[in-house]
Amino acid sequence: MNPESQLEAAVCFVAANVQDPALRTQFLEQACAGDAQLRAAVEELLLAHGDAEKFFAEGRAAVNAPDLDTQAAASIQEATGEIQQDDLTDEQIGSRIGRYTLLQRIGEGGCGTVYLAEQAEPVRRQVALKVIKLGMDTKNVIARFEAERQALAMMDHPNIARVLDAGATETGRPFFVMELVRGTRITKYCDENHLDTVQRLELFIQVCHAIQHAHQKGVIHRDIKPSNILVTLHDGAPVPKVIDFGIAKATEGRLTNNTLFTACEQFVGTPAYMSPEQAEITGLDIDTRSDIYSLGVLLYELLTGRTPFDTNVLMQAGLDEMRRTLREKEPQMPSTMITSLRRTELTLTASQRHAEPPKLISQLKGDLDWIVMKALEKDRNRRYDTANGLAMDIQRYLDSEPVVARPPSRLYRLQKLVRRNNIVFAAGGAVALALVIGLGLSTWLFFREREAREREAQLRAEAEDRAKITQAVMFVSQGKYDDADETLKQLKAVPSNPTLDGVSAFRSVGEWMAIHGRWQQAAERYSALIKIDKLDNVKQIALDYEACGVVLAESQDHEAYADFWRMAVTNCSTAQIETILITCLELPVSQPQMAALKPLADHQESNSVPRAKSRVSEWAMMPVAAWKYRCGDYDAAMEWSQRALELKSKFPACDADAYLILAMADYQRGHNGEALAELAQGRQSVETRFRAGLDHGKAEASYWFDWVFARRLLQEASALIDGDSAQPTPE
Amino acid sequence: MSNITLVLESVGRGERKPTEELFPLVYQELRRMAAARMAGEAAGHTLQPTALVHEAWLQLVGDGEQTWQNRRHFFGAAAEAMRRILILNARRKSALKRGGGQSRVNIEDLEITAATPDEHILLIDEALQWLEAEDPETARMVLLKFFGGLTNEEVAENLGVSLRTVNRQWLYAKLKLFRWIRDQNK
Repeated sequence: MNPESQLEAAVCFVAANVQDPALRTQFLEQACAGDAQLRAAVEELLLAHGDAEKFFAEGRAAVNAPDLDTQAAASIQEATGEIQQDDLTDEQIGSRIGRYTLLQRIGEGGCGTVYLAEQAEPVRRQVALKVIKLGMDTKNVIARFEAERQALAMMDHPNIARVLDAGATETGRPFFVMELVRGTRITKYCDENHLDTVQRLELFIQVCHAIQHAHQKGVIHRDIKPSNILVTLHDGAPVPKVIDFGIAKATEGRLTNNTLFTACEQFVGTPAYMSPEQAEITGLDIDTRSDIYSLGVLLYELLTGRTPFDTNVLMQAGLDEMRRTLREKEPQMPSTMITSLRRTELTLTASQRHAEPPKLISQLKGDLDWIVMKALEKDRNRRYDTANGLAMDIQRYLDSEPVVARPPSRLYRLQKLVRRNNIVFAAGGAVALALVIGLGLSTWLFFREREAREREAQLRAEAEDRAKITQAVMFVSQGKYDDADETLKQLKAVPSNPTLDGVSAFRSVGEWMAIHGRWQQAAERYSALIKIDKLDNVKQIALDYEACGVVLAESQDHEAYADFWRMAVTNCSTAQIETILITCLELPVSQPQMAALKPLADHQESNSVPRAKSRVSEWAMMPVAAWKYRCGDYDAAMEWSQRALELKSKFPACDADAYLILAMADYQRGHNGEALAELAQGRQSVETRFRAGLDHGKAEASYWFDWVFARRLLQEASALIDGDSAQPTPE
Repeated sequence: MSNITLVLESVGRGERKPTEELFPLVYQELRRMAAARMAGEAAGHTLQPTALVHEAWLQLVGDGEQTWQNRRHFFGAAAEAMRRILILNARRKSALKRGGGQSRVNIEDLEITAATPDEHILLIDEALQWLEAEDPETARMVLLKFFGGLTNEEVAENLGVSLRTVNRQWLYAKLKLFRWIRDQNK
């Protein structure tokens, strides 16, 4: 753009935004002072401003809803002379994947294709099979696909379509198999069967329970709408089933912090059911309460037959306007919406609900209005905290009990009013006080409500924590350990009942941090890990204890180390003695600590005496050697370390430990020559390992924490021996 | 798909001319996705240019590891591809409505105020071609904004200019384009 045009553009922009004609003229006079040509050009352009805006708005509407049809698609193909190849390369109908025969293609998502498939054995049945789309099988997508399948597999609820099986095709593309739900979408089912309001609410409560279950497993649906909730008949009773569970979550890059992707996923979704925070372009911060909003929209539609905002209107308005509507515009209350319908529509809507119009309106007015509006709050902090909270309130309505949702209190409305009219209320403190007293809240009601709210808050915190853990698992699977660390750090509490995956996320992050020498972060993750570690087998837990001890010793957090030490000794089970004992002997121990360890050490010693037939491993002997050394029983320490070395069992870190303990014991006994030689052996082994760089390690080659442990011993031995005998050894 | 990733990677390393190579690949993918959408239900609701383009980006390059530079090129190519798809569609339908046989709509036949949605698109496309010769910079902004469906913020990021510049330029561009269309149809 040349400078003249730039000036023109700037003047046009300001002038176009000045509504008042007199002001506008005044502005133009000043801005174009002396430049008649500029003024004429601008005025000429602005003349058509309204028409131009309208023309482009219509154009945008055409782009937004281009009304493409299949013929148009054909014409596009013709025009470009290309043939679509997808169907040739994707799975063929009639072909088999594992024990499933593909019968029909029934849907397609971002990265996966869903087929109707038949399973032959062990039972003959039809299932839905989702396979990752050709070309989408990149490592990251597969990892997400897999993480989502695991999340789905964790869910076990009668109102959620189940995951039955998973595997990979011959070409290695992952797939999973879901329960095939044949049903009618919930709104259609209700209308066709003329369910009355109470029956609709009862169905809806079941949907809430399904969503609550998912939230507790850390899964957010994000696309709750009638077509994703199908009603099937089970022994004649309608059962709603939630399908398509966050599948997009696995396949679209929702967990990346790139707003473009969020923008993508949102606007592929269904605007009418989208929460204000989902509609935000920066909507990364989506939590379970977004689903509460969508549930609110669903409830609204079940009750009134319409969504709070009309889909077509939202779509026509364009993205910015849609966002603004969702963010700012208050929807009509259900009863108001019904009342505003035209007569014929009202009669139809009421008859579909098995009621006369006046009855329907009076049913909705009051409690149901407020329940719906609470779920639809723009500010998610004001919504129900959990799906259960919403369900409970509806149940209270059905039981004719007072509901939690209520019209905004007079105090709340007053606050809003004050905020709007700051000046008028500047001296209105006395008025507010009078109103507060006037509210006359019953103390009993207040406490009851608070209790319910606290419980809700707790459930929500738990659900959010689970969501975070799921997210951390995915970050780990993508190798994003810093992100995973950040996510785990945000947890409100130590998870009480995590999954194996969740537990391993803590371990993986801790390990990664340790290998990279970030001891403080490693210590935090491992400390949390051992607090929750009760799912894996006892051997694994013992190893976690060892890693944790090693990491805490490196982090130099003496208080945390002491706490850990106490906990390790107290919780130690028989099968863990070997590992816990040596872990607790890494650093010199105090007298009381010796006393606490003695029973463990005695047990280990009696078990480590070689007997006929049973072989004792080198790792079983090392704790005894270390114990003897810490006790000051240097002869015994030497004896046990030598015995361990004689096994030649090729645990390099263990050998290093043995040499170092031997060196220290020899030194204490005055065998300086031997001590120096053994120290050199130990040092060489440790330094070689660290020079090669620390990695995860294997049991045979010794884990990373075994090496960090050995290095700590080396430091101790080196300080003792080199530090004391400062004179250089004569060659 | 891997083709696109390769091209994008080389763009990232500054090796090749991006748009020319990227465009046909992106175009093919968008066309495929658009056709798939049209075959499904409620096509009008889901064929949002922004959504399609973003989804295509996601599908093609997967994770957020691509550089911003790549995204910039990608969205240019995608908006151009979107424009072609829409134009083809609009031309065909417009031609059908006018008795068929005509492969292209002559914009002089159109009454500007009574233009159908498809004709809107065609008129704006023609005007944009004119603007591309006049002021390529502004034309690119119109392309991203109108056919690419990006928000003003996204356009600003894409072009590396301030949001205020985009606001100003967009309003001005609309006025100029509209005037051109009107003058052509006098």
